[in-house]
Amino acid sequence: MPAVEMEGIFKVYPDGVVALRGVTLRVEEGEIHGLLGENGAGKSTLMRILYGEIKPTEGRIKLFGREVNFSGPWDAIRHGVGMVYQHFTLVPTFTVLENLYLALLPLNPDITPEEVRKLAEKKMEETGLRVPLGEVVENLPIGVQQRVEIIKALLQNAKILALDEPTSVLTPIEVEELFKTLRELKKEGITIIFITHKLKEVKEITDRVTVMRRGEVVGTVNTGEVSEKDLARMMVQREVVMSLQKSPANPGEVVFRVENLKVRDEAGIEAVKGVTLELREGEVLGIAGVQGNGQRELAEALAGIRLPHDGRIIFEGRDVTSLGAAERYKLGIAYVPDSRKVGLVGDMKIVENVILTNLPRVTSSGRIMWDAAESLSEEVIKRFDVVAPSVKAPIKHLSGGNQQKVMVGREIVREPKVFIVAEPTQGLDIGATEFIRRTILNLRDSGKAVLLISTDLDEVLQLSDRIAVIYEGRIMAVGRPEEFTLERLGLLMGGVDA
Amino acid sequence: MLSVDRESILEVLMSLIIAFAVGTVVLVVLGYDPIRVYSILFKYGYGNTDYLLKKSTPLLLTGLAFSVPAIAGVFNIGGESQLYVGAITALLVAHYTGSAIPAVIIGTAAGALLGLTIAALRVYRNINEVITAIMLNWTFFYFIAYLVSAKYANPKVPHESVPVPPGARIGGIFFIAVLTALTYYYVLHFTEIGYKMRVSGVSPQSARYAGFSPEKMVLTSMLLGGAAAGLGGALLVLGATYTIDTTLSAIYGIGFTGIGIGLLGRNNPVGIIFSSLFMSGLIIGGQWVELKTGAPPELADTLIGVIVIALAVPYAYRLLMKKVGQRGSAA
Ligand SMILES: Nc1ncnc2c1ncn2[C@@H]1O[C@H](COP(=O)(O)OP(=O)(O)O)[C@@H](O)[C@H]1O
Ligand SMILES: [Mg+2]
Repeated sequence: MPAVEMEGIFKVYPDGVVALRGVTLRVEEGEIHGLLGENGAGKSTLMRILYGEIKPTEGRIKLFGREVNFSGPWDAIRHGVGMVYQHFTLVPTFTVLENLYLALLPLNPDITPEEVRKLAEKKMEETGLRVPLGEVVENLPIGVQQRVEIIKALLQNAKILALDEPTSVLTPIEVEELFKTLRELKKEGITIIFITHKLKEVKEITDRVTVMRRGEVVGTVNTGEVSEKDLARMMVQREVVMSLQKSPANPGEVVFRVENLKVRDEAGIEAVKGVTLELREGEVLGIAGVQGNGQRELAEALAGIRLPHDGRIIFEGRDVTSLGAAERYKLGIAYVPDSRKVGLVGDMKIVENVILTNLPRVTSSGRIMWDAAESLSEEVIKRFDVVAPSVKAPIKHLSGGNQQKVMVGREIVREPKVFIVAEPTQGLDIGATEFIRRTILNLRDSGKAVLLISTDLDEVLQLSDRIAVIYEGRIMAVGRPEEFTLERLGLLMGGVDA
Repeated sequence: MLSVDRESILEVLMSLIIAFAVGTVVLVVLGYDPIRVYSILFKYGYGNTDYLLKKSTPLLLTGLAFSVPAIAGVFNIGGESQLYVGAITALLVAHYTGSAIPAVIIGTAAGALLGLTIAALRVYRNINEVITAIMLNWTFFYFIAYLVSAKYANPKVPHESVPVPPGARIGGIFFIAVLTALTYYYVLHFTEIGYKMRVSGVSPQSARYAGFSPEKMVLTSMLLGGAAAGLGGALLVLGATYTIDTTLSAIYGIGFTGIGIGLLGRNNPVGIIFSSLFMSGLIIGGQWVELKTGAPPELADTLIGVIVIALAVPYAYRLLMKKVGQRGSAA
């Protein structure tokens, strides 16, 4: 009997995003079932529905043949569903035992910490999954914290355990440990749903796999019967629409060179592991890859926001590795971040946002010349078709597309030589998307060097003159678009050499 | 671009109405005639301009000491001790030199230095500024109590410190405070450093993206805030009390009240000019209410407390909504 049957699931988010369009997922009892798909395919949404965290717009869910309708995660937990998110839900300043106690209280209000300790020790015995009960959570390595989450779910009597991209935060050794644990749990009869975008992991750990794309299921297959190539094809397959007219590139001199760059993330883990790239005038170099493979750290290191711990960045023959962001911007490097929350200050006016990266242009001996700032903002608004009542309107009152135009436009009016842009059209409507993409191509045609970092494969394919694929902080391959088939891109993005 | 927006004026007015409504209820419940109490409060509170301005001066400055760091994202609860050190150093410098200008300068610098110290502990040692500030408030309270009662006691008046010599006494202190507020307003809205402080306060990650350090802005804002409180202490002894009494009643509490004044002025230096006057009037009037009706001194305090709470509610509400909004949109 299937442990999980989700049938005809639709999900429309309140802001109108259709995340799932009739998804059907069947997971057999006692199997490890992979859920594979690119960013935005809807994997997390599907799992949050299974866990009762959000309600489907339409569709039915059955667990072990019985229809369920959860009113919240606690309800799902009572029905034996456990969830391990990428970001943990432990209280960092509590000990492991205190966290477990906290998790069990709602199920059994009379339970004592001592009983929890006994239960936990018994469970550790059974599964071979060891966690230090007395340690404070924040002092534990990520891999161990994840194990605490798993133990927590098991103590809550989870029969079905879903893990959302569990390996994305782990080191390779921790991944091996996790896999060992999962196999152990499978022996205990636990049904596991394993979400990932890494092909190798699918092959290594899952029995069957369901591939999703753009809110739909492409298919469910037995892992043993398909190759990584088949999976890659299923994952990325699409009709590439070339709606944008694009003239052939006219690449000139190399203006920006990155040599063996290594960058750590906030947690101190090496997120960029030796990237080497060359960027020429008049070309768009697209960096394709699934989110969380070092793109943000790379972009921030190139912009000067984050210090690399190894490697060099050369701009117009000059080593700029040790320069901060403001200095690099002044030299002619521009960076548009992947998040409008970072690039814009929502509570401030349009004009105050336009000057954020343009301060040298509108200040004189420390004083802000608001007249100059306002005319610069007018210029941005006019040149980039921003719909806004006035430059003094708060930026948060603009639509996402118009905010994005301000964020991109204020960099372009600076006439930078190197333009680094991350996820430029995320969450935008078609009109704004076309406009921004057109703008990027125009920039290239005027001889600027553009580095486009995007998890949107269509975007990379449409705009790039050369493509580099990033996976786990390394460039898997660089080449002209013709050198990549979709299948090869899918393999590379999934971490398989091709 | 004067940024006094209509929304916050409306909000302040609403809060005041609510506060007085609640105050009325409290008065009626306690058996006082609200009309009589309010008329005494306003008539005497705002009747003596000279006294009102003197009373407002240090409060205006500790209001700035709270609000300027708040704009850059720091909670400066240490206006209290920053004012103490300004007061005591100004007193001593005046005592030894007999002139006002070095006393003002050194008092201001002392406050600034203390503010900077608190900020530096946060930025470089990650020590919470609220905890540091509370500890320093008491440290300096007792240290200064010791100084004025043991080291610099006035031999002629036993419960007072040595007086500010006549040649170092100054007038017009309120105008110095107003000038400071206007200068701070200018700095915040018309200079690069002020802009950077404002960005850092609402969005440190945007500051980092733009290539400036929000930590540096924390230091700068606490330097400016501490300076304002230090100046407040200096002006208080040089222009109003001319001495510090051994129970420190002349200087105690001004920093704390400054927090309410800063919030009432919506962290806007120009708004703070008005909120300090308003609040001082209430404090003065409250004492007259006590005198004339026999109402307990807590009555005025209650009223002030209710105002601060009524003002904080919409602020807290917005903060909460923002948090909820962020959680809702997180994937
Ligand atoms: N809370 C939300 N509000 C609106 N849209 C959302 C929300 N969460 C996800 N989405 C959108 O739903 C789609 C599917 O997202 P998600 O389920 O996170 O995909 P995956 O986990 O496969 O990367 C995406 O287009 C995403 O932008
Ligand atoms: Mg996801």
